[in-house]
Amino acid sequence: MSRDVHLYLSLIPEALIASMLTPEEFGVYYAVGTAKKARGQAMFLEIDPSFRHDYFRVDKGMQRCVLHDDGEPKRSVYISVYRVLEHVALDAVQRLYLVTQDGRVMGLDAEAAPSDEPTGLHLYQEIAPVHPRVVSSLGPVSFYELIVKSPSIIWRLPAVCFAELRLGELAKDPAHGQVGDLPYSRVEHLRQCLTQLSTKTVDAKMVNRTEPATFPYRTLESGIFLGNRVNLLFFPFPTLEELRADHYRWWRSARSA
Amino acid sequence: MIRGSQVWAAIALFAGIISVGVAVALYRWVQRRDPGSERAQEVASWIREGARTYLRRLYGALTLVALAMGFIIAMVFTFDIEHLGTQAVTLAPGRGVAMAVAFIGGAICSAIAGYMGMSIAVEANVRSATAAQESLGQAFQVAFYAGSVMGLAMVGLAIIGMSSIYLLTSDPEIVLGFSFGASALALLAKAGGGIYTKTADIAADLVGKVEIGIPEDDPRNPAVVADNVGDNVGDVAGMGADVFDSYVASTVAAMLLGASLFAADPAAQMRHVIFPLMLCTAGIVASLIGIRFVRVDQGGSPGRALNSGTIITCGIFAVLTTALVLLGGYSLGLLWATLAGLITGVVIGFTSDYYTSARFRPVVETARVSSSGAAINIITGFSYGLVSIVPSIVGIVLATLLSFYLTELSGISGVYGVGISAVGMLSISGMIVSSDAYGPIVDNARGIAEMAGMSQQVIDRTDVLDAAGNTAKAITKGFAISAAALTVLTLFAAYAEVVGARGIELVISLRDPVVVAGVLLGAVAPPLFSALTMLSVTDNAFDMIEEVRRQFEERPGILAGTESPDYAACVALAARGALSSLVWPAFLAIALPLLIGFVLGPEALGGFLGGSIFTGVIFALLMSNAGGLWDNAKKHIESGRFGGPGSDAHRASIVGDTVGDPFKDTAGPSLNTLITVMSLVSSLFAPIIAAFHLF
Repeated sequence: MSRDVHLYLSLIPEALIASMLTPEEFGVYYAVGTAKKARGQAMFLEIDPSFRHDYFRVDKGMQRCVLHDDGEPKRSVYISVYRVLEHVALDAVQRLYLVTQDGRVMGLDAEAAPSDEPTGLHLYQEIAPVHPRVVSSLGPVSFYELIVKSPSIIWRLPAVCFAELRLGELAKDPAHGQVGDLPYSRVEHLRQCLTQLSTKTVDAKMVNRTEPATFPYRTLESGIFLGNRVNLLFFPFPTLEELRADHYRWWRSARSA
Repeated sequence: MIRGSQVWAAIALFAGIISVGVAVALYRWVQRRDPGSERAQEVASWIREGARTYLRRLYGALTLVALAMGFIIAMVFTFDIEHLGTQAVTLAPGRGVAMAVAFIGGAICSAIAGYMGMSIAVEANVRSATAAQESLGQAFQVAFYAGSVMGLAMVGLAIIGMSSIYLLTSDPEIVLGFSFGASALALLAKAGGGIYTKTADIAADLVGKVEIGIPEDDPRNPAVVADNVGDNVGDVAGMGADVFDSYVASTVAAMLLGASLFAADPAAQMRHVIFPLMLCTAGIVASLIGIRFVRVDQGGSPGRALNSGTIITCGIFAVLTTALVLLGGYSLGLLWATLAGLITGVVIGFTSDYYTSARFRPVVETARVSSSGAAINIITGFSYGLVSIVPSIVGIVLATLLSFYLTELSGISGVYGVGISAVGMLSISGMIVSSDAYGPIVDNARGIAEMAGMSQQVIDRTDVLDAAGNTAKAITKGFAISAAALTVLTLFAAYAEVVGARGIELVISLRDPVVVAGVLLGAVAPPLFSALTMLSVTDNAFDMIEEVRRQFEERPGILAGTESPDYAACVALAARGALSSLVWPAFLAIALPLLIGFVLGPEALGGFLGGSIFTGVIFALLMSNAGGLWDNAKKHIESGRFGGPGSDAHRASIVGDTVGDPFKDTAGPSLNTLITVMSLVSSLFAPIIAAFHLF
């Protein structure tokens, strides 16, 4: 029995992988199903299998992706690790998959990024290529332009994937707003960083430079942004009603993390 | 009047039969409900088989113990103990056999009540989950009626046993044998069930939820079935046996006091021996009526329905008791003593709710400080647990003093009044146990809904039912511990009377070094018992954690959802561990009082009982309330407060909850049974100890 070969871009860690598994199977395998005991939350993009770039030896990797002798599908052939995102054209990106640490998979479709709303502060978790946690007075689109496209700063990222996380009452009242169900560590430091956005002339401030790239999915605010110097994709996070109605298993797993 | 007492014993027997009959009818009603989809039935069958296998093993082992102890009791009580050591020994084999039969009868009745309650619980869980597809009210009704099977069977069998023995022998001391049999089985059922349930719970949580990150009740967790089985063997069969033993012990203690304190007037003696059975009868009638009022209509609250049922039952019981006292020509002091016990029991139950419910400050404060780490969570929860002892102790003090002096004022021995207040407190056990047994049923229903892949609406409804079950559980624990405290105080008085009847005036003075030795050794028994049971939990949980890890490591397909875990391996581990862990706790409960009595004498044994009662009640309240508080502090955070799931506060609260698990479900609730068993052993063997002791 032949199986199609898929191309996946893992965001944690950054890697381009060929696999005979469907996205759902790959998510389970990547999060929990490995015999190498590597497990944990995962995020990956499904890439058009016809995508090619001189930087990657995609064809060679796909050729090695064949059934095992016992008929089992080849689960993963690593084509490239490190600096993958910057070399993938965004029009080759098909879907984003969020996988919980116990292997529940939810796929998200991309749409045009919404224009920024002028009010409130924002919290961003960068996922790739680096993963600091940052607060900013800029909306997601402006933040993306600042770190990827802006000619006014010394450094620029070639591409970025980041998530906008919930700030709850802290977005409007960083000093006194209720933390509620926000699970962030060192909340007082977060409050200080948010407060400094209004007292100092900066658009963004790093909260933690060593933050893990993973985060509780339930803290997602608007969704996940993926951009390079050409384009910006937005993967909106479903509403609570949609999660409960259409993705109950995934949402229950995500809430318990 | 003697004939009147026989009539009342027959009425009590009839009430017991009615109660068991209604329990059987409710059993069949529940069985006729829709058992749901094939998958739901399959999941339920895993739990049912696991629970039945464990109980069969437990009762198999206990049968041997009961027969061996019955033989010893028959031998010991065949001697005419009254005159042992003072004149030639005469043999009374009929009395020995009667005592042994009563003992075995008590154990059997307790076992039947537990087995019946658990059997319907494992049938009702899936039916309640299935009914939740229709409405919250229907799911509630199935679960509550199934819980009522346990409640009504328990009180029915208890009163059938007590009244039958009394009708046949007219000797309250033989009924004491029945009580001892019930308590001995209760101790092992409660401690064993507690060890089982927490072994499975801790292993399921630590590996499944903390290490792997899978949600509660996820079918991929190899320990999830053992966890659900534990809910039944610990919280249904165990708690039922526990209240059964307090219920019987308090009634028997009051009967014994009635026999000894009114010995000078045979007519008054019979009237006061039978009065506790009359109260039990009134309690059964009140519970049968009260249960009819427990229902959840459209938009109703399960918690409110359960509380309303308890309050209505109390009201009916108060009216019936007033009628019994006035029409029966009893002293009004006995009415006040009964009401003092009843009101105190309910108030103490709701006090436990204050310290363990997320609606009140102790739980919220413990949740709030959890962001500072596990140590602060544990210190805060432990401290509130210590504070929670105070209102219950004050309640017990008030009930004791009020019942004593109000009875004295009406010209009757105050000690008898204290005994009657304990009976008053426990007389509505039918209703209390019905509410309590409802808890694990809906807990299981939630698990089955999850494992069987039922809709989110069903899971939401079972969540609502489960929350009310947790509150009922907290109230019952407080109630059971306080009732046991009053019961053992009565048993203590009965012990003194039995020893006094053998010509030894029991003087328990702290200036007597033998008494001080007894007090100190008694005081150390409950902590030692707690340690033994909790170490059993950690030891068994260690083995099960390794088993769960092994399954995840060796079979990645379990987490991937492509292969099923080996649930039976965890069920067998939990059962084997729980049963093998019971030897030393049982020895401590039964052999230690005898050792103290025969070596140090009856005064030292009196001191031993006093010491064990004081630390036993304090430890039981502390452990049950602190454990419940830590559990609900974690749930409060999980509901979206102080950072919610995944936050630092949540991680700290998980540690507190895990510490609290064996507190609240293993050691804490078993302690009241421990002190009851030790008091019963002392009372039963008091005549022999009075005749034979070294000091």
